[in-house]
Amino acid sequence: MIGIKKEIKMGSRDSILANIKRNKPDLLPLPEINLEQFEDSLDLVEEFTKKVEIVGGNVFNLASKDEVLKQVKALFPDTSHNYSTVEGTSGFNTISLEALQRPHDLNDLDVLVLESLVGVSENGAVWVSSNQLPVRVLPFITKHLVLVLNKSCLVPNLHHAYKALNGIDNDFGVFISGPSKTADIEQSLVIGAHGALSLSVFLIA
Amino acid sequence: MEHSVAASIFNKNEAKVNWHDKALWFVRHKRDLSVHTVKGWEQLRELGSAIKAHTLSNLDNYLVEFEENALKNGVQVHWAANGEEHNRIVHSILKAHQAKKVVKSKSMLTEECHLNPYLEVDNIEVIDTDLGERIVQLAKEPPSHIVLPAIHKNKEEVDELFQEHLGTKPCNGDPQYLTNEARKHLREKFIEADAAITGVNFAIAETGGLVVCTNEGNADMGAHLAPVHIACMGVEKLIPKQEHLGVFLRLLARSATGQPITTYSSHFKKPREGAKMHIVIVDNGRAEQLSRPDFRASLHCIRCGACMNTCPIYRRSGGHSYNATIPGPIGSILSPGKDLKKYSSLPFASTLCGSCSDVCPVKIDIHKQLYKWRQIITKETPQPAMKKMSMKFMGRMFSNPKQYQKIGRAGRWALRNLPKGLINARPNVWGKERDLPKGPKESFDDWYKKRNKNGK
Ligand code: SF4
Repeated sequence: MIGIKKEIKMGSRDSILANIKRNKPDLLPLPEINLEQFEDSLDLVEEFTKKVEIVGGNVFNLASKDEVLKQVKALFPDTSHNYSTVEGTSGFNTISLEALQRPHDLNDLDVLVLESLVGVSENGAVWVSSNQLPVRVLPFITKHLVLVLNKSCLVPNLHHAYKALNGIDNDFGVFISGPSKTADIEQSLVIGAHGALSLSVFLIA
Repeated sequence: MEHSVAASIFNKNEAKVNWHDKALWFVRHKRDLSVHTVKGWEQLRELGSAIKAHTLSNLDNYLVEFEENALKNGVQVHWAANGEEHNRIVHSILKAHQAKKVVKSKSMLTEECHLNPYLEVDNIEVIDTDLGERIVQLAKEPPSHIVLPAIHKNKEEVDELFQEHLGTKPCNGDPQYLTNEARKHLREKFIEADAAITGVNFAIAETGGLVVCTNEGNADMGAHLAPVHIACMGVEKLIPKQEHLGVFLRLLARSATGQPITTYSSHFKKPREGAKMHIVIVDNGRAEQLSRPDFRASLHCIRCGACMNTCPIYRRSGGHSYNATIPGPIGSILSPGKDLKKYSSLPFASTLCGSCSDVCPVKIDIHKQLYKWRQIITKETPQPAMKKMSMKFMGRMFSNPKQYQKIGRAGRWALRNLPKGLINARPNVWGKERDLPKGPKESFDDWYKKRNKNGK
């Protein structure tokens, strides 16, 4: 029985591929992406800040990483479920991921602080990947998300971002641009759909 | 039902049609503002189009490469020739995991295959988690737009639906309150789910990974919590390399809503520890569309919805009037390829103004394809006698300038002198929703000749 099933499955695969092979046009060239045509002379920090604000987030400029905790506490003075992966901020953590049974148990998480290695000026997107992410659902399930990024990690556009990511093997990764949002009720923008209700980006000088 | 008949039903509520028209035009306007700030936007569209054309010309090899890499990543790959097979595969995966509660994020493909009713027969609960899709699901309607599924509903209707199904308080349609209640309701569903189904925006041959774009975060909330993630994709979602995402993610959200990028662009490659991931690759008529040189570029589509937002017909007739999973201009060139007879009125639901082709981020020549489908349909399906007769008559008239002038004179006289009741009588479909202008005394030709004589 199982054998028969497998045969049917293989049948569709091969017939789909055969049909496509028969119906496709002659091979067309794959164009090169020439980055020069997209270069503008915009200031990376200024443009990034503007775009993060347009998409509903906030940018804070910090002199050094040592200020992260102070700034987080100023923004969220009395939250009870906190987690940070930034070095030297473990005093902030009120939950332990080692003790976590299921990702579902993160449902009460108030504040999450994560580090990133790439930010994109043209759209305010910040790259977060499984290499910096102990549990994948973290940046989505938390109520408030703080992303920490060195200014030197900003790139002008997505082409540069993918260049920077090339060769880095991520099991999962996500560009996050602003807090979660929807406009599905009469086109009125509401911040806070299923993911984070707020997004703050800390830019480290 | 013919498009024009369905459209006239939508047009019964004039205030709503006007709102619909303006709301979508506003989205189109936001698209303009956003793309005009991108240096090299036209080159970006060229690239998008050329990468898609290349991919289609090598699609079988890219699919094999994609499958190979996905398998290496520990993802299971399935192939479905049609909607029925797709549904059967998804069902069997759910059964194997004893999944009874499923959360789904937006996927036009699963709409196309009618997955929900198929699963519901076996008592599997499928919850659409995109807010707009949840709204239309509660209303037992299909989405009317591919990016804005509930654009045809006003906030009062949403208020009533939520009171009935989610037990919310009356709120005069307060979007903030309603969205917040939906968040709570759906958060419970995410936590309870046994499986998550998502669509796919882009599948990368080079890595075997796939990208899903949302603003709400619903795809991620589903996929990262449930023990099994099933991603369903049409064969045309393939792109060769990860670097090509740079092109398509720059095009997609700007064209869709004017945002510089969606809130979340999630790159799934390997299943998370302890969880399973499946990909279902679906043909369902795509290979056939690939065989038609005039229409194969319709497979470039990245489902941004810009052609709908800009279309003067779509804006005034509503997505449901197309009676197809993908409505609007792109739907009108995809659907006839699936069932020429059933969708024979759709290529005529256009002014051929070309606005759709102008905004399309992957440069599909939509209005030209609409015109080409018209030629085929007129030949292959029976046309109304009245239309056939009048077309023949017009053809004769336009080929004979003398006769044209004579009839023009009579027409101008009639428009000046005959009563409205007679001018707008039944055979004149143009007079149905509008009055014709008063006929001028002289034709353009007369005026032009006179003007030349006077030396002006
Ligand atoms: S046809 Fe073009 S404009 Fe229309 S949805 Fe597809 S990509 Fe967007």
